[in-house]
Amino acid sequence: MEQHDFSQSARQSPKGILVIFALNTYKFFARSFVLILALGLSLSKNESFAFLNPTNMTLAIIGVFIMLLAIAILKYLNFKFYLDNDEFHLATGILNKDTTILPINKIQNVYIKQNFIQQLINVVSLTIETAGDDDTEIEIHALDRDTALSLKNQLFSNKQLEQFSVDKKHSAPIVYFRVSGRRLLLEGISKNHIKSFLIIFSFVVGLYNEFEKYLQQFHVTEQLKASVNLQSGSIINILIANIFIVILAILGSMLFSVIQTFISNYNLEVIENADTIEINKGLFNKVSLILTSVRIQNLVVKTNRLKSYLGLHTLSIKQAMINKKQQKNSVIVALEKHQLTHLIRNFYPKYDDRGEIFKPEILYKRVLLLRSVPIGIILNIPAFFIFGNYFWLVNVPIIIWIALFVHFSYKKASFQITEEYITINSGFMDRVKHINEVHKIQSVAIKQSIFQKHRHIASLHIATASQSVSIPYISEVHARSILDFLLYKIESQDRNWM
Amino acid sequence: MFSNQQIDLNILPSIDVIEFKSVSRQYLNILILNRCAIFFLIIIGLFIAKQMVNTGLFQSLFWYLTSAVGLLAFITIAYTILAFKTRKYAIREQDVIYTEGLLTNTIAAVPISRIQHIEISRSWLARKFKLATLNIFTAGESGIDLNIEGLNLNEAEKINEFLSKKVNGTA
Repeated sequence: MEQHDFSQSARQSPKGILVIFALNTYKFFARSFVLILALGLSLSKNESFAFLNPTNMTLAIIGVFIMLLAIAILKYLNFKFYLDNDEFHLATGILNKDTTILPINKIQNVYIKQNFIQQLINVVSLTIETAGDDDTEIEIHALDRDTALSLKNQLFSNKQLEQFSVDKKHSAPIVYFRVSGRRLLLEGISKNHIKSFLIIFSFVVGLYNEFEKYLQQFHVTEQLKASVNLQSGSIINILIANIFIVILAILGSMLFSVIQTFISNYNLEVIENADTIEINKGLFNKVSLILTSVRIQNLVVKTNRLKSYLGLHTLSIKQAMINKKQQKNSVIVALEKHQLTHLIRNFYPKYDDRGEIFKPEILYKRVLLLRSVPIGIILNIPAFFIFGNYFWLVNVPIIIWIALFVHFSYKKASFQITEEYITINSGFMDRVKHINEVHKIQSVAIKQSIFQKHRHIASLHIATASQSVSIPYISEVHARSILDFLLYKIESQDRNWM
Repeated sequence: MFSNQQIDLNILPSIDVIEFKSVSRQYLNILILNRCAIFFLIIIGLFIAKQMVNTGLFQSLFWYLTSAVGLLAFITIAYTILAFKTRKYAIREQDVIYTEGLLTNTIAAVPISRIQHIEISRSWLARKFKLATLNIFTAGESGIDLNIEGLNLNEAEKINEFLSKKVNGTA
């Protein structure tokens, strides 16, 4: 790869105008969508305003496009960056000039992304992220791939190398993991489909509300009713129709989950570099990001019974102060158990599962029960309106559900504390494992309600820069000794959390 | 010289033996004044409503409502007084610990090496009583930020100076 020189103030590739233009156009229409819809509706009802004849409309639309294009060009012209010593400088703004200076050693992440348009015109976008607010990230919309890779490498090569362990051999990048289509399919199928169903359901309901009037105009409902013909159908017919609807919903949700999994994880690869891990993935939005273990705040491993049977584990790598959207980028799905162990070892060299495992006190079971019973009682109210006098039947599945919830939530809750790491297991249907490094803890707190005090029980809350985890319902003495131990560990080591 | 001796967990510094310091008694006055002000406003609101609304239901319920608010005010203030003595803090060599709460007691500890920045904030009433609140921030939105309310201004400034020096590594 040729070395690019970034010491001179430079603009991005002129293709960037197109990218910015497309992005702004999309944003403009997304924001004024409601307005346009309202306009369209009133036009279709022939309530047109006098000044809105076709010529004016066309002119207005062309005007909007020219304005958006002009803004895109001005944005492009006023977007300049350069690399000086160990600082990244960026000047932006058409009217309000902004200059951002970013010390390289404060950079947490450099992403390379490629959305659909960028794939068409063969450029990539480069995002630089710090641990500051969500807004303080820098995105360069259009660079050719070589330049972007070179810039990324320079941003990383100058980084405090002394922080990485020196004894590690500098080896060539190895593609450690590449997901196969079959495993992605399995991952998609074994997902929690309730979420997909809710998305589809709300989408359909939303569409129905929008187009209710049109549907009435075209008598769609009547036609549907005629074709189903509820009146003449026997109970079996209704039953079959209902089962059909349920199967349709399940299949639809499954399809949606699978498609979603494929779009975001297409061609997922994990590449091991000398002291970093690189993740590449995505179909329409290609993402590439580099993770260094000093910047990682904690790891979350998720699986469930079915998934672990199929050998599917999900590893989320959490960093400080990253917004939800970006956090999805550092998730690796469909990992085999040994691959998972290998990756965890890569980030946390001394991690192993050995060591004493503790469980919350048995009282936690009762608390889980007390927490879920009110929800069950509240669910009786809508049931009354739907099923009338037979509403109490709804309590049968609710009671089974609560029993399962309490049993499995308690069964899965456990924790382990070693010299370097804290592991906390939790979950109801999923098995969730949080792994934190002791020296990356920000603060520790013990919470104890008056009822817990009576029984000498307390909960421990541990906060890192990325996430807060809790160990519920352990004995007060134990909680206090853990707090003492963690504080001692953090304070005696003088290791940076980042 | 690197060493990795086994630690005897029984000789670790323990939070059981810390002597916590209470916040200023004056702060109780502020808390009570604040609570009173809120309930006073609600009761005034009720009286104004009595003049404006003429439905019989509201008129007949008025005294019940007012006494309910009064009772709530009494309970809140009683609880504030009872819970006040649980507001305590301790500064150790390496960390800051703050505890509060009667119904739910929280003991939160922040190692000094994890402090991002410190702020002293003072409300109008706090200035009258020469009190201050010390806000200690850690990294991350999920972090437990410590707010020690009701410190004497002198005390707050002293702690601030001590912690700032420690954080900046000059002490």
